[in-house]
Amino acid sequence: MIQITIDGIPCTCKKGEKLLAVARRNNIFIPTLCHHDGLPGMGSCRLCVVEVTESGRTKVVVSCLYPVRGEIEVVTNSERILAHRKMILALLRKRAPKSDVIAHMCEAFGAPDLPVASFDGGKCILCGLCVRACDLIGAGSVATRTLLKKLAGQGCAYPVAGAGVIAMVNRGTTKSVSTPYDEPSEICIGCGGCANVCPTGEITVTETDDGRTIWGKEFKFAFCKECGELLGTDKEVRYAAQRGGRDPDFLCPACRQKRSADAMADAFGRR
Amino acid sequence: MTRTILVCCGTGCRANGSMDVSLALTAAVAAAAADANVCCVTETGCSGLCELGPLVRIMPDDIMYYRVRPFDAHEIIQKTVLAGEPIERLLFKDSSGNHVLHQADNPFYGHQKKIALRNVGIIDSRSIDEYIAHGGYSALARALEMTSDEIIREVEESGIRGRGGAGFPTGRKWRSAAVLESSPKYVICNGDEGDPGAFMDGSIMDGDPHSVLEGMMIGALAIGAEEGFLYIRDEYIQAVKSMKKAIRAAEKRGLLGESILGTNRKLYFSVVRGGGAFVCGESTALMSSIEGNVGEPRAKYIHSVEKGLWGCPTVINNVETWTNIPFIINAGGKKFAEIGTEGSTGTKVFALVGKVKYTGLVEVPMGITLRKLIFEIGGGIPNNRKFKAVQTGGPSGGCIPASLLDIPVDFDTLKEYGTMMGSGGMIVMDDHSCMVEFARYYVNFLCGESCGKCTPCREGLRHMQSILTNICSGYGREGDIELLEMIGSTMIDCSLCALGSSAPNPVLTTIRYFRDEYEAHIREHRCPAGVCKALTAFSVNHATCKGCMACNAVCPTRAIVRLNGGFPIITKSCDGCGSCRDVCRFNAIEAVKGGRV
Repeated sequence: MIQITIDGIPCTCKKGEKLLAVARRNNIFIPTLCHHDGLPGMGSCRLCVVEVTESGRTKVVVSCLYPVRGEIEVVTNSERILAHRKMILALLRKRAPKSDVIAHMCEAFGAPDLPVASFDGGKCILCGLCVRACDLIGAGSVATRTLLKKLAGQGCAYPVAGAGVIAMVNRGTTKSVSTPYDEPSEICIGCGGCANVCPTGEITVTETDDGRTIWGKEFKFAFCKECGELLGTDKEVRYAAQRGGRDPDFLCPACRQKRSADAMADAFGRR
Repeated sequence: MTRTILVCCGTGCRANGSMDVSLALTAAVAAAAADANVCCVTETGCSGLCELGPLVRIMPDDIMYYRVRPFDAHEIIQKTVLAGEPIERLLFKDSSGNHVLHQADNPFYGHQKKIALRNVGIIDSRSIDEYIAHGGYSALARALEMTSDEIIREVEESGIRGRGGAGFPTGRKWRSAAVLESSPKYVICNGDEGDPGAFMDGSIMDGDPHSVLEGMMIGALAIGAEEGFLYIRDEYIQAVKSMKKAIRAAEKRGLLGESILGTNRKLYFSVVRGGGAFVCGESTALMSSIEGNVGEPRAKYIHSVEKGLWGCPTVINNVETWTNIPFIINAGGKKFAEIGTEGSTGTKVFALVGKVKYTGLVEVPMGITLRKLIFEIGGGIPNNRKFKAVQTGGPSGGCIPASLLDIPVDFDTLKEYGTMMGSGGMIVMDDHSCMVEFARYYVNFLCGESCGKCTPCREGLRHMQSILTNICSGYGREGDIELLEMIGSTMIDCSLCALGSSAPNPVLTTIRYFRDEYEAHIREHRCPAGVCKALTAFSVNHATCKGCMACNAVCPTRAIVRLNGGFPIITKSCDGCGSCRDVCRFNAIEAVKGGRV
């Protein structure tokens, strides 16, 4: 256990724990955009910068990635840090002029309005959360691809080609998030995980009663064949079943439970 | 007497036709063979003075010829090689007009001290035998008898700091990797030299590949690594070829592979070609690229010495650092530490380019002043123009004005003045260079080369680019300079990697030293240097004009005409390129306020 202070408040933490986690546990506010508790840190938005003083030397670090390894003093709201956060938000406002989230944050933090033309963009701040979400939970993950390849070897017809569904493309100021060649992805299952984690709501998902369109691809909804409850997209249900190594049964959890209870009852002759 | 003819076949000389010279010399030797002494032609790596290439050096007389053409070959063989007479017209002429016979008497070479370049330009880079004949691999043999601790202590004692830019003490890096017990460990050679105008690492890899390998082998022995990678940018076709060949030759001789020189240590090296991204010169991005991922840096709160390539302890050093290692092992760390300054020991290779008389590759002791480097070695500014600034450290280095020419060149001093050592690019600018345009150029370059992962670098650069473009085209506003400074400070503190945190250097140093130029652009809509096209017009000073019409010949838009047989005038079709001003020998063409704005 290591003793550190954050804004003068003594905190206890494990060696290697990330500074942001320690601060959050102690109710100390550090703003973030590209952080998600369920996904590995990337440190791309840089909004969570803090000042760390270690053996007399002060440096600026991003709290979401900085592992606590010794006794340090942390300041989360010095003049310098606040000025940097304002500038970062001001820069992001020009990248994502249509984003309400960024606009609200700019207002809350008092970020200046820079006299530079806005980027011809929408709401994306290129934080990379969607890509990480797709890599880890969606069809794009390495683990999933390995599994899918294995299934393909066993005669499964599920598409196994290619990399993740979405990725960062280009570099520098022209960077963006897209599917390969900007075309509807072959392996996307339409789970909407990317849209779910997006902090600014850039990824558009349009839904009708029958289906959902995401990344330029249409997906049909699947419904529970017993009660008619919405299960998700057809591909998502098949994908989940395949990951579990069984055939898709198109049942909602409640109906599935009921069915197995019935089967059990039948087996014991109670019905 | 056996004479050797060294023909420089570095990139610069090759472009000037040195391969033809080499062929012609070989043919001339063959033709003269009947009555000739034994004589051979050797193609070497870069000899340094690229400006005056192709270079030919005759050993052991040490006669150096410059700007040699293939038709000189016969004369060189007949006169110099057979009769021992120098050919005057091919010799170097110093500032007082005397002919210089030996290389060491040429001021360009006289002030240099070669350690990293000790073999470059002297041996045939393709031959492992020549390297061994020049004392190569003796340091490896010595290192095999030393313990890991002894090797590292020698490197620590030498005080050598990483030549790639950051200047991290190499010995300390090796020590922290050596004490870790996990395995495997890796050594990497960073040959992804991407700075515009820099060619130090390429020249070393091309001209003396075995010294790089030997340094890496010693490093691998010291930290206990069994595998190494050489990450070389793919544009360096020669270097890639040369390194691959060197690895094969070393494997054949038993210097690499299952057993190094018959011991039970094994070591494998392989070449990885970079995909053309500047950011992949950053150590973590480079490793990511070797792993097969997108070349994006990651946060370095856990050093790559602990968790580098594939999460294993990795020592990554620059080409030049590795090349210095065999010298340190052979001569001893103390000897190395005697060269240079206290904080920056040894020598540094610079690519001296831009508006300087003798562009080329130089290696000088650390602590040499910029004045000596530019005016004595580089021969000063061509056409007797005024020196304005020198940029050190590649696209994200800052610039140093004329008033600071006497500062010593070492890691700490350069940092103090807002620039950095970088990998050793040195771009000299004369008074026809606009510092705002200079900053805009580099910010533009970095805009395309930033990986775009973190906000300050990606967005900050884009904003800087937009503001600087506005200033250069006459739409600068009050407050722009302050805004640039604010964005720069956020980029320095908050960027993910060294590319982002050093990217504002060109902007911030030009503001620091040439603020008046920014102000002239913004307030007076005037480009003092006469470079920014939108703010500049040219006029002919009829008092000094001789009417030679040299300007007319170079004008791309035919804007210079002569009316009624008088002196030339510049018409409205002038594009503002400034070629006429550059070509005028009488300084009769002046830049004035004007242009589109």
